[in-house]
Amino acid sequence: MPYHEFECSKCIPERKMHAVIKGPGEDLSMALPLGYLNTIPGTISERGCAYCGAKHVIGTPMKDVIHMSHGPIGCTYDTWQTKRYISDNDNFQIKYTFATDMKEKHVIFGAESQLKQSIIDAFKAFPKIKRMSIYQTCASALIGDDIDAVAREVMEEMPDVDIFVCNSPGFGGPSQSGGHHKINIAWINQKVGTIEPKITSQYVINYVGEYNIQGDAEVMVDYFRRMGIQVLSTFTGNSTYDDLRGMHRAHLNVLECARSAEYICNELRKRYGIPRLDIDGCGFKPLSDSLLKVGMFFGLEKETQALIDEEIARWKPELDWYAKRLKGVKVCLWPGGSKLWHWAHTIHDEMGVEVVSVYSKFGHQGDFEKGISRCEEGALAIDDPNELEAIEAMKTLKPDVIFTGVRPGEVAKKLGVQYLNAHAYHNGPYKGFEGWVRFARDIYNAVYSPIHQLAGLDISKDEISVDQGFSTRRMISDVNLSEEEANTSGERPYSGDYDCVTKLRGKTYPIPLAKQDEVLSGAV
Amino acid sequence: MEDLMKDRIEQLVDYIMKWCLWQFHSRTWDRKRQNEGILTKTTQLLCKEPVEHETPEDKCYWVDAVVLAGSFKSTYPWLSTLDNEEIKRLMQGLKDRIDFLTITGSLNQELTDPNY
Repeated sequence: MPYHEFECSKCIPERKMHAVIKGPGEDLSMALPLGYLNTIPGTISERGCAYCGAKHVIGTPMKDVIHMSHGPIGCTYDTWQTKRYISDNDNFQIKYTFATDMKEKHVIFGAESQLKQSIIDAFKAFPKIKRMSIYQTCASALIGDDIDAVAREVMEEMPDVDIFVCNSPGFGGPSQSGGHHKINIAWINQKVGTIEPKITSQYVINYVGEYNIQGDAEVMVDYFRRMGIQVLSTFTGNSTYDDLRGMHRAHLNVLECARSAEYICNELRKRYGIPRLDIDGCGFKPLSDSLLKVGMFFGLEKETQALIDEEIARWKPELDWYAKRLKGVKVCLWPGGSKLWHWAHTIHDEMGVEVVSVYSKFGHQGDFEKGISRCEEGALAIDDPNELEAIEAMKTLKPDVIFTGVRPGEVAKKLGVQYLNAHAYHNGPYKGFEGWVRFARDIYNAVYSPIHQLAGLDISKDEISVDQGFSTRRMISDVNLSEEEANTSGERPYSGDYDCVTKLRGKTYPIPLAKQDEVLSGAV
Repeated sequence: MEDLMKDRIEQLVDYIMKWCLWQFHSRTWDRKRQNEGILTKTTQLLCKEPVEHETPEDKCYWVDAVVLAGSFKSTYPWLSTLDNEEIKRLMQGLKDRIDFLTITGSLNQELTDPNY
């Protein structure tokens, strides 16, 4: 597997070790991009900082918490509302963001008193909220404010509140991934085991590394509950602060995003003996295998298989409709950490999409081992690309669509390449069987959008067709399909609801959990 | 004969590298533990031998092994033509290759980090 040197980065020779092309017959022992290293001077990285990784990615999805940044206002503003980790409590954690608003005078004289007053003010402004996370920033770290001491002082004065302190300043690692690590360890050190959760089942899991982007966690938790399993906590999407304090009582940690949350799973295994099971929640086959593993762990194979059969019967004809039309579509899979490998093989296998490149801004070498193993030969794997490299890759690889975040996504659009938001999603959830069809639907809509076709034309020089008044996606996507292929009996486009998540809230799961309650109480 | 064995091992390696995650834990000691635990149980399942799954740790290996053994059998029909001795040799070769790709031959510089 040869390293790949970008033309635009020849002046930064160190960059060569950060990109690899997967060649025929080559394996991981031959080349692997470097990863999780400090950004090379001269390359303009698009990474996030360690504060952002701690607060924005992992901390803030906790739903009943005042999330307070101890720093300048910009730190909290720039980590606000760009990820759609919704919750079933009216999205409190997305609606509001809090900061101590540090200024120059605080840098000179200290900001501990400002911090204490901000904590008290925030609790007073939201009297029903009794939990808080405080996030250190570069400014408060550099002046040495003792956030833990202030938090302890407030908790003594206000005994009904509980405060978590996350000391992960922006400079605390090469990228946001440093913050993922720090908040994992801080949470288990400070909070896990400080509350005893109510156990209502013989089968208890933590669902870890899942942030409820547009309802992903709620879809998966619905599956687990239908199987008869109690989900003690979701780390951290749609979870309460106190749910996460009780993680030590689960029987199994089901790990989705190993990049952001393997640390707490590893620690829970070492400290409490809870095993870690890595799963894939994306794609029909990987999801089916994953649910089956969780079911088997508890002896619930029958219930699990019934759920899988029901879901596949409902959604497979819709996936097939899209797969037929997505075959051969070229994609650059440029998401964050875990979707690099959650999606690489299964979009190819189940939708026929060709992954021509994978990249990650903050993934570690372990993520590239997984991603490269799962994508097909010829794919270009890039660690921490700068904008010029991404542009060069798009120009040479000529993808039809990019799965990435908002910032590189908008650059792609300017080059006439469509993009899907891989971080916050376009019309998610994308997890679960229905979610996978929604993802296929969004890819289809991106690739075959008529406006996208028009946007590539320059009216000052291109020839504009005037013999056709309009076109639709079907007119573009079905050009190469025979009549029989285009109208296969049973296959259909997505037929689910615009909102497929809200109806899951308040749903009851009477039979299996009731049975288990009887078992637990000794009635059976 | 050796070429056939090698080719079959590579088919199984490809399956694991594409569809499994358990071989990619983040540290050397974890990868050794995972490869040993899951591939030993997969071998026992393929050879129809008893498999321990009483402790939570064993149960976790066992569920990965059950799904893997089932996938191997459905994806590679030639497996059913092998006797237990041949399966054991095949699986030992598979484990050696997975250990090489994920541990001894891995270029991942984080594997030897002493902390999680």
